[in-house]
Amino acid sequence: MSIGPVAFLAPWLLLGLAALPILWWLLRAVPPAPARRAFPGVRLLLGLDDPERMPERTPWWLLALRMLALAAAIIAFAGPVLNPRAEGRGGPLLVLLDGGWADAPGWNARMDRVAAALEDASREGRTAAVLSLAAAPPAEGGIPWRAASEWQGRLAGFAPQPWAPDRGAWAAWIAGAQAGDFETLWLGDGIGDGGEGALAEALLARGPVTLARAGRSALALTPPWLEEGALRVRALRAGVAGAVPVGILAIGPDPNGIERVLGSATAEFGAGADSVDVPVAMPIELRNRVMRLQLAEGASAGGVVLADDAVRRRKVGLVSGRAGGEGQDLVDPLHYLRKALEPFAEVVEAPLGEMLNTAPDMLILADVGAIGEAERALLMPWIEAGGLLVRFAGPRLAASGAGQLEPDPLLPVRLRAGGRSVGGAMSWGAPRKLRPFPEGGPFAGLPVPEDVDISAQVVAQPDPDLPERVMASLEDGTPLVTGRAIGDGRLVLFHVTANADWSNLPLSGLFVQMLERLAQSAGGLGPAPEAVEGGIWTPLQVMNGFGELETPSLVSGIEGAALAEDRPSAEMPPGIYGSGERRVALNVMRRDDRLAPMAGLPDALVQEALDRPAERRLGPWLLALALVLLAADVLATLRISGRLGSGGARAVARGAALVLLAAGLAGAAGTAARAQDTSSEAAALYAANRTVLAYVKTGNSRVDAVSEAGLRGLSRALFDRTAVEPAEPVGVDLERDEIALYPFLYWPVTEGQAAPSDAAAARLNDFLRFGGMILFDTRDADLGGSLGGTTPNGRALQRIASRLDVPPLEPVPLDHVLTRTFYLLQDFPGRWDASTVWVEAAPAAEEVEGMPFRNLNDGVTPVVIGGNDWASAWAMQENGQPMYPVGRGIAGERQREMAIRFGVNLIMHVMTGNYKSDQVHVPALLDRLGQ
Amino acid sequence: MIEPRLRGREKPQGAIGLRRDAEKIAGALPPLLAEAEFLAGNVAMGVHGRRRAGHGENFWQYRQAVPGDARSMVDWRRSGKSDLQFIREMEWEAAQTVCFWVDGAQSMDFRSDPAARSKRERAALLALALSVLLIKAGERVALMGSAAAQPRSGRAQLNRLAMELGAEPADERPEYGAPPPDRMPKGARAVFLSDFLGDPEALTPALAQAADRGVQGVFVQVLDESEEVFPFDGRVIFQSMGGGTEFETQRARALREAYVRRLAERRAYLQDLARRLGWRCLFHRTSQSPRAALLWLYMAVGERA
Repeated sequence: MSIGPVAFLAPWLLLGLAALPILWWLLRAVPPAPARRAFPGVRLLLGLDDPERMPERTPWWLLALRMLALAAAIIAFAGPVLNPRAEGRGGPLLVLLDGGWADAPGWNARMDRVAAALEDASREGRTAAVLSLAAAPPAEGGIPWRAASEWQGRLAGFAPQPWAPDRGAWAAWIAGAQAGDFETLWLGDGIGDGGEGALAEALLARGPVTLARAGRSALALTPPWLEEGALRVRALRAGVAGAVPVGILAIGPDPNGIERVLGSATAEFGAGADSVDVPVAMPIELRNRVMRLQLAEGASAGGVVLADDAVRRRKVGLVSGRAGGEGQDLVDPLHYLRKALEPFAEVVEAPLGEMLNTAPDMLILADVGAIGEAERALLMPWIEAGGLLVRFAGPRLAASGAGQLEPDPLLPVRLRAGGRSVGGAMSWGAPRKLRPFPEGGPFAGLPVPEDVDISAQVVAQPDPDLPERVMASLEDGTPLVTGRAIGDGRLVLFHVTANADWSNLPLSGLFVQMLERLAQSAGGLGPAPEAVEGGIWTPLQVMNGFGELETPSLVSGIEGAALAEDRPSAEMPPGIYGSGERRVALNVMRRDDRLAPMAGLPDALVQEALDRPAERRLGPWLLALALVLLAADVLATLRISGRLGSGGARAVARGAALVLLAAGLAGAAGTAARAQDTSSEAAALYAANRTVLAYVKTGNSRVDAVSEAGLRGLSRALFDRTAVEPAEPVGVDLERDEIALYPFLYWPVTEGQAAPSDAAAARLNDFLRFGGMILFDTRDADLGGSLGGTTPNGRALQRIASRLDVPPLEPVPLDHVLTRTFYLLQDFPGRWDASTVWVEAAPAAEEVEGMPFRNLNDGVTPVVIGGNDWASAWAMQENGQPMYPVGRGIAGERQREMAIRFGVNLIMHVMTGNYKSDQVHVPALLDRLGQ
Repeated sequence: MIEPRLRGREKPQGAIGLRRDAEKIAGALPPLLAEAEFLAGNVAMGVHGRRRAGHGENFWQYRQAVPGDARSMVDWRRSGKSDLQFIREMEWEAAQTVCFWVDGAQSMDFRSDPAARSKRERAALLALALSVLLIKAGERVALMGSAAAQPRSGRAQLNRLAMELGAEPADERPEYGAPPPDRMPKGARAVFLSDFLGDPEALTPALAQAADRGVQGVFVQVLDESEEVFPFDGRVIFQSMGGGTEFETQRARALREAYVRRLAERRAYLQDLARRLGWRCLFHRTSQSPRAALLWLYMAVGERA
């Protein structure tokens, strides 16, 4: 029996509720009995009248309290269950996973749901099958029915695929599969492809179908493009309901080659909109590094777009008409171009004939006069396909006479013979300044510096179409930069030289800005069909369903035509494909794709939410409630019968009530919810206002307790012995807490520890990069050999460290600053004294006064790795007694002292850096060392 | 609630019972006596003799001889040191008789929960402690209505007193006590320790006899704390210790004022009675220290003796 979301296991017990009114009547009729007391003073009372009368009947609220307690108990014993699981219908159970990229964001929830369904089926002894629609339907054989328990073991083998499921094909396959009725649980991703209706019909023909779907379907991104200097990407969603925020991360290598988030942007799907264009604003230097864009939340293959030529760093080819003489850099026409372009573009220098083989986005010809026919034949198609040809004038161009008599296709305008020279020694005029750039032109908005003078230039013929080709001009209106669109590409001519011969434009910052604008406008070639067609493209990196790049395996080359047209599939997973030198990114979504919600589903389909609330038994809670009510009843009864007054009675009443209350709470404790810690701000203030040592919470309460006690002991030792006066240590949860506030992290490595998540790894890398130190402690005395992965903790350490930016390591050298920051130490024992301690490898030593002293950089070693279980040696109880024995007897205490000294040195190293490696200390240290 | 104690007849008799009773008596005696002596010792530190001249063995003072003093009374050794004649006076050490009545009725067995001692125990302690002091001072004491009713002095009498006071209470006792009709020696002192909650008329015969024989004394009303503040509430049936008297109330809290008023009336009556007889009154509560009461008693008894 069920009422709303609550079902009862023993519903007939609810009949007991009918007895409540009788009980009410009975309890009302019986007044509470009077107490009998021996009292010698009774003689004095004789003959007194009662001014007040006690209520003879139990007050209604007390009755109600008792009724409520009883009702709660009755209902509790009737076995109420919230959100009960539906009863199985018998017969085989088919679990269908869409299995495409859109399943990736909630994959674990889906797997949990499948596992729960299989467990139910296994309990009921049903056979089952789990199929992923993203795979192709098997060519032969029917649905692979097996025992449900067998499928449970195979679930780990399922993973979302980076393409969309082909429901149409499966609908046809199921319709054609051998007969037999079954029940279906279909875990849909919520994104329609037109085949879902047919699939549902085919399934319904065989038996009942339940479609479980997540509350929100996955989001997707289309390939990015450049617009108005910003990288833009379009986020898509299926359905138009509500305003939903979306965050975009632009990811690429930083100058050190480490992948980082280079930029981010947020936007919001408007209500009623199924897509939103998100501009990701970032400096061009960073934008050029972007490798991929992805959704900040809900990673999937569809939520990752690999940036290809459309947004990547531009490749600029430089060709000079004159071979630069040795030692003449400053007059080399390419020198200024090189300097200006290198920050934001990839510069290629090659002879003109070979240049186009490198597929540049932009080609700059500095003072190239004549261009041969063969080269023309190459250049024109390249420009028409979207190339940007920028030419600079110069003596050679002027002398070549190109475009003077008839228009040269490789010059935007006709040129006058001779050119002009102003402000020279033999001329009247002064050098000309620049006029502000016209609105709407490629240089619009650039500030014009006062000190740019043009003293010589080639002059355009005043043809009728000249004005519309002018991109920049001088004060007197003479065109300085002209341009013309050819096909998809463009031709630009600077009427001055690229060096400082004719003007000082190349010396100004304006020159760099103009080139940057031009480079931005170079469209790139993109995977246009004709550019990709032909040739075989082999995958270099492929994405998995979660949007992570992997090295491909068992994927053959793809025809160019397929790459340009077809959807990603098992044969052609999304990723980066290469053919020779060219690279093309294949993304899940194409440029103009849209996502549609599932539509056309038949009404007979039972739909329910994926994250079904867990089955919960309410019995314990109700029993606890009944006990609490009874405890309240005890107190209330004593109160109204006047027996709560005297001390003894009060104590007894309290005791009884407490016992009842404790029983109630104990009953409820099994299902008590964990409270959320909301004091992060207080914790941040605590850490920011004091020096606080921190340890990493491993989730193992014993290890955490030892870490805390260890750091407390170390903090006390520091307080007693040094100027560092730390407050009580704190534990940090790497996934949630801010670690930048702590100078030092103690990280005990435990076997079961999970590697940090992306966000946590990014925070940890920042922590290491900007001066934090982590002491990794495998606590296994290095039994597996130095840094070996043969102990479980060692393997866990390797797993963790693989996510972190750990520098090259070496065992602590004898002269490491760690050996003398406070105490002079030779070894670094903890509770064990066997393992090698590793620190960042230092640069080569140099000899100072006959001693090798290293000229270390200012950095503190970001990691110290060892296995000596230092925290146990430092661990101190509240009363100041050591928590664990170290070694034996006096020698053991000596070892503990050494461990504490190591801790002091370590914290001093964190706090003072390499201060003690300053050469000033050398004589004193040598003296102390007795050498 | 006071549980009725096991009575002697419910216990095994014969040799075993005798042995047990003997041990109990021997065991019960020293603590009471020891406690009384300890208490008395505290008091004796502060009180010195009779502080008056009289017949005795201890030197009191020299005084100048006046006409009328017998020549034999002159202390010649002292007088030889000067021209005057001195008489050596001894401290008055005439033995006095003090009669105790310690109420042994059932009402004295009452003890409320927070109290450490019942009223009877406190009364016995006060009586015995005072006896210790008096016997040290050489007085004679008597415990009315018991085997020690004959006034005697000395350690043996003290032991008898302790035996009587520390003994298990008798089986058949009245609910409220009255002074026994023992004959008190002429000019003796009397100390009546009771709760005086019974019928006040029951005092009359003993007081009349005391007035006849010139006996003056002290009323000590020993009450439990709950008998003074009446901390009860709710529906209660109050009954006397033996169950002979019952009183039912619907709401005990409401009776508090009336009860306290009646107790005050009872005390006023006692004080009035005492004033008329030349007696004195002490209201003692078992929650108070017995020392102050003992000191007061010792002063009161020795005052005009």
